[in-house]
Formats: sequence, C-alpha cells, structure tokens
Amino acid sequence: MFLTRSEYDRGVSTFSPEGRLFQVEYSLEAIKLGSTAIGICTSEGIVLGVEKRVSSPMLESSSIEKIVEVDRHIGCAMSGLTADARSMIDHARVSSLTHDLYYDEPVGVESLTQSVCDLALRFGEGASGEKRLMSRPFGVALLIAGFDDQKGPQLYHAEPSGTFYRYDAKAIGSGSEGAQQELQNEYHSSLTLKDAELLTLKILKQVMEEKLDSKNAQLATVTKEKGFQIYNDEATSELIKSLADQDVDEESEQI
Amino acid sequence: MSVTSAVSSDYNSGVSNVPIEHQFNPYSDNGGTVLGIAGEDFAILAGDTRHTTGYSINSRYEPKVFSVGDELLITANGFAADGDALVKRFRNQLKWYHFDHKKNLTIKSAARFIQHLLYGKRFFPYYVHTIIAGLDEEGKGAVYSFDPVGSYEREQCRAGGGAASLIMPFLDNQVNFKNQMDPDSNGTAKKELKYLKLDEVISLVRDAFSSATERHINVGDGLEILIVTKDGVRTEYYPLKKD
Amino acid sequence: MAGLSFDNHQRNQFLSAKGFGSPKATSTGTTIVGVKFEGGVVIAADTRATSGPIVADKNCEKLHRLSPTIWCAGAGTAADTEMVTQLIGSNLELHAMSTERKPRVVTALTMLKQHLFKYQGHIGAYLIVGGVDPTGAHLFSIHAHGSTDIGFYQSLGSGSLAAMAVLESNWKEGLTKEEAMKLCTEAIEAGIWNDLGSGSNVDLCVMEVGKDAQLYRNYLKPNVREAKVKSYKFARGTTAVLKESIYNLVDIEETVVPMEVDTEA
Repeated sequence: MFLTRSEYDRGVSTFSPEGRLFQVEYSLEAIKLGSTAIGICTSEGIVLGVEKRVSSPMLESSSIEKIVEVDRHIGCAMSGLTADARSMIDHARVSSLTHDLYYDEPVGVESLTQSVCDLALRFGEGASGEKRLMSRPFGVALLIAGFDDQKGPQLYHAEPSGTFYRYDAKAIGSGSEGAQQELQNEYHSSLTLKDAELLTLKILKQVMEEKLDSKNAQLATVTKEKGFQIYNDEATSELIKSLADQDVDEESEQI
Repeated sequence: MSVTSAVSSDYNSGVSNVPIEHQFNPYSDNGGTVLGIAGEDFAILAGDTRHTTGYSINSRYEPKVFSVGDELLITANGFAADGDALVKRFRNQLKWYHFDHKKNLTIKSAARFIQHLLYGKRFFPYYVHTIIAGLDEEGKGAVYSFDPVGSYEREQCRAGGGAASLIMPFLDNQVNFKNQMDPDSNGTAKKELKYLKLDEVISLVRDAFSSATERHINVGDGLEILIVTKDGVRTEYYPLKKD
Repeated sequence: MAGLSFDNHQRNQFLSAKGFGSPKATSTGTTIVGVKFEGGVVIAADTRATSGPIVADKNCEKLHRLSPTIWCAGAGTAADTEMVTQLIGSNLELHAMSTERKPRVVTALTMLKQHLFKYQGHIGAYLIVGGVDPTGAHLFSIHAHGSTDIGFYQSLGSGSLAAMAVLESNWKEGLTKEEAMKLCTEAIEAGIWNDLGSGSNVDLCVMEVGKDAQLYRNYLKPNVREAKVKSYKFARGTTAVLKESIYNLVDIEETVVPMEVDTEA
C-alpha cells in the first residue's frame, strides 16, 4: 500500500501521475460498503427501494432514514455514508424551494440533480474563487427520482465525483452488482408502477443477507398525480406478502 | 455678543451657519407611455418612441418595447437608464435559464423572476413601470404589470408611463366594458365581457396613443406595437404627431 | 467698482430665513417671436397651453392687443400675460384720450415694465411688444422682473432657443413684410417641433406703418389631428338606467257635459 499509492492519495485535489484523484476514487469505495438502494423508472412513475441494516433488535428501525423527500415532485434514496447526505439533501431542498420562489414553478429534476452535483465538488476551491466547503469528497451516492412536465418521470444517479447519469433502473450499494444484473434482465419499458414495486422488493430480497421484512426495507414512489410518497410499514408488509404469494405461484408452476 | 462675523448688522442676527448640502439626484424622467392588452390567443405590447428630458426631445425613435425571446415581450417605462438596465439583466438571466434548465421560460415564471429583479433593489428601486406580455401555458394571451419594487398582477390590459392616467380609463371602458350596459337590455343589464379580436385591439391602441399625443407633451413621434401570437412576434409602426 | 456685487447677499439670506424667499422665474411652455421689417413689425406665437405635462388648450391665443396698432405676445403665466395686457391696454387708451395722441409703443413698454417691476417678478409675464406709432415701427421684449430689451428680432418662452436658432441663422437686414412673416413662422415652427412646451398652430400679427394691424389667427396649421381609426359612438341603451319615474306634466281630465239637443225638427 505504502509503496504503490505513495503521497498522491493525501491531497484531495492532487492528481497522481497517472491522472487519478485517489480520494475521489476511495469515496466511490465507501458507497460499495453501503446498504443496497434501487430505483426503477416506469412510464407511470418511479420506485425507490432501500435496504435498512437493522444491526440490533434494540434498534428502532424507523429511525433509519434512507429515502427522503426533496420536494413534492422529487424524492431521493441514498447509499454510503448517509450522514454526508444530510448536507446534500439540505442543498437540494433549498435549491428546489428557491427555484419555486424565483420562477413560480417546480424545478426540473435534471437541474436539481445538477445543483446537488455542483455541491459534491466543493471539497476543492471553485474556479471562480468559491470557498472550499468540505475537507473531503462525499462518501455517499444518491438515486434522485422525480417528475417534471418537460421530461416526465426520471431517475438520476449522482456520485461523489460530481457526475450524474440518467437511468431506466439503477442499483447502488453493497448488493449493486447482482441487483444491477437482475434489473437488466427484468427491466422493460412497459413496466407498470406495481410491477416495479414488486421487482424492487424481489431484487432487494435476493441481494440482502437478512430475511426481507417491513422493518429492513423501505419503498417510495414519485408519480405525476401524487408526487413523492413514502410507504409505511403496513403497505410494505402487504407488498412483501404479495411478493411471497407470487413466489409460491411460480414454484407451483414449476412442479 | 457672540457675533463673530466681520460685518455685524441687524440683518445677520439670524444667519445660520448650516453647511450647504449638495445632493445627487440619480433619477430622471424620460417620458413616454406604454400599453399592453391580452386577447384570447394573442397579446400586444405597445409604446411610443419619443425619448425626452424636460422640454427637450432626445430622440423621435428610441424603441422601449422589446421581444426578448421565448415569445416574451417586455417594457420598463419611466427612467430609461433603469428600464434598459432591467431589460438587459432580464435578457442575461433568460440566457442562463436556458443553459440551466434547457427549456423556454413561461410568462408566469418570467413574471415571478422580474418580481425578484425589482424587489432586489427595494431600497434603490428601478424607477420604472414594467409590463410583460406573451402567451400562457394554455396559449391564451397574458399581460403582467409591475410596480417599481415588484408587486405584480396578471391583467387583461394595462397602460403605464406618463399618459397612463389618460389611457387607462379608456381601456377600462373599451376592453373591460366598464360603465357600459348591453344596449339590447336598454340600460338594465351589464354588457357581457368578450375577447376583442386583434384588429380591434390594434385600432384601440392606435386611437389611445393618438389621443394621448394630443394631450400629453411627452407622448408622440411614433407608435411601435409588438404582437405575439402562436406564430411568433410581429412589429407594426404608426407615425404620431411630432409637436 | 468692477465685477459682481454681493452687497445684498447677507440681506437676501436673512429675508429667505424670514420667509421672503427669492423670487423664482417661471416660464411655462411657449414660443413667441417678433421680427422688424422695412416699415413695420411682425410678432408670432404658437397656440399650445400646458399645465405640467398636460396640454390644457390646443389652440389658445397668445397674441394680445394693447392698442389697435400695438400688439403683444405673451409667455409665462397665462393669467398674468392676459391681465397685465388688458390693464396696460386700458390705461394706454385712457392715456391716448387725455393726451389726444395716438399711443406709442415706448409708452406701452414703459407702463408694462414699471408695473412688472413693482411686482418684483411675482407677475409672471414675459412679453414681446411690437407695434407702429407716429414715430415708426418698434419691437421690444420685457421680462417679468421689469427688464426690457430692444432688437430687430426677439424670442421668448421655453421654445425661445429653438426659435432664436432660426432667427440667428436666417435674419438679415432690410427684410420685406413677406420675408419677416416667413421668418417668424419658421421660428415658431422650430419651437412647435422641438420644444415640448410649444405646439399646435402659428398665430401671426403684422403691424405696418400707416395701416391697421392685421391679425392672422392660425396662420399655419401643421398639426391637424388625423381621424380616429374607430368610431366610439355608443349604441342607444348603453347608459345604465338607475331608476325610472314618469311624471304627467299635463293633467288630462275628461268630463262629460250633457247638452240639450233638440231632437225635434
């Protein structure tokens, strides 16, 4: 380690001779340690699903918040150092509200994502003299789901590097590799919101170490009509139950 | 006696030694009048082209109604330098809006944004009466008007500037049919509101400006009407009296 | 002693403090001119009257008669120019009767300036006096404070600069009557077009030695309003009827008076 990485992994904004920013690359590693989060975009809306690691039976699972509302039309799931997401979410909420204040309209989902990513780069000084805000890059990635009049339902993945991409379906966190593969197999453009909910849970179930229940998973949707809606435990259990029924059906078909 | 003046007389008993204050007045009035009317599927924004200070004419053709893109018309009438600055800032911010959001600015959003441009100078205001015109999200004509510090409202029609007080009552009567009863009811039922056609509106605007020219010394020389429809923005010019 | 005198500065400050502020020269919008020619004089004026930025009268008369052969163009406060002109005109007539001589322009000038000086500029009349008398043709101007000027051509009012520009560039010695009329008209027009306080039409008065003065009311009308695009005639029934009550002003009574009719025969 000492020999290979030498000094170039110390300064956050110092390139290595090979042209790499190690601190940024390490931050991406931090996300791979995080719990799995999945987003699926359908024509009816977007589904967000996360795994909650309930590390102790004494832990109040509702205190783990990994899906949050940014505005009525935008929600966000996270994976990695979730504490870092606090300032990102704050920034997103301020951006969204400010846009509404200045323009009397909901902010575009892509614009909002861009403004969050602008913040992600503030571990260094800005090109036009902006103050350095943070000592290191964020250790968290976001799945930003939202609806706007221009592009309809959208899903974005925002990384600590400050880049973002739009996805039909995306998984992040420790189980992302398997989950992404499964998303690729199962995703098609005519998926309904209901299908997407079940698919999200199904994939979470596959990649989670614990047995899936309403305490260790959480779902949320963003639709044109109802905006951001987070699922309570009852709604989640019901979905898990219908997922189990579906599995039974499939098994019985195999016989 | 505490009079220290070199010349002491009965006259200087009350002479005060207050320092002479000089004040810079940052504002002036460049005259002119503007007028916006919304129709069912169009909107117009018109202004005379005379630019004045005091009793002098600086220019007989200095346009003050602008098409800024996104089918939006804007005018800021009063102190011309402030009006120009406001329109310039709006144009600049509109460009940024396109870069940031990759879409057209709706007139509703433009109105809200201008409110913030104006209120941003709450204690050193832009000395202007601002009016914007365009089509709303449903394609209907829209006119928004602002006071100098950003209070705004969507209206069917609005006159601004020097001769606003001359034109506005005429508009109330001819556009919103104020004080007019339905002739068929023989003066017993209000005349029903209806959208005016474009050629009717242009006739009203021309008559409003030629009449204002007759009675207001800061109005005259030329009338420029900008018309916005779903097909884009069009300009018409009519000469006014030059005296 | 040479140079400016500031002897009264302290006194004037004292007066200001006591509420006797220094008089302000007010000249409301107008253009008036006068030009002499061989054997007479022409005076002219525009016809716009304003109050602030509003045109109060589109065709007012700014040419006033002091005597049949002495006329006067007025700028400044409209009421003052009219009243001072009427007063001096009246006194001039009395003076002419008591002296049994035709009134002279210098007499009118003297009476006007003495009157205006007495009022220390508070009577806001700025006048161009022109006329003919047994001594010939004369042209003067008077300011509200009582000062007077003599010249072959004069201009006054807010449009005086525009008018003077024309007079200075086009005036020459030994103008004919027609040339003087044209020059006056052009000078007033310069005011009409370039001064916002002036507008509408040109009024002209020609005074020639040995002849009656000739007033050309609306000598030039370069600002006739074009017809409106639309008609604003309201249809019958547009005015709201708030209440209706009908009174019978004539009582009609029907009474049957039986008459004796001779049914026989």
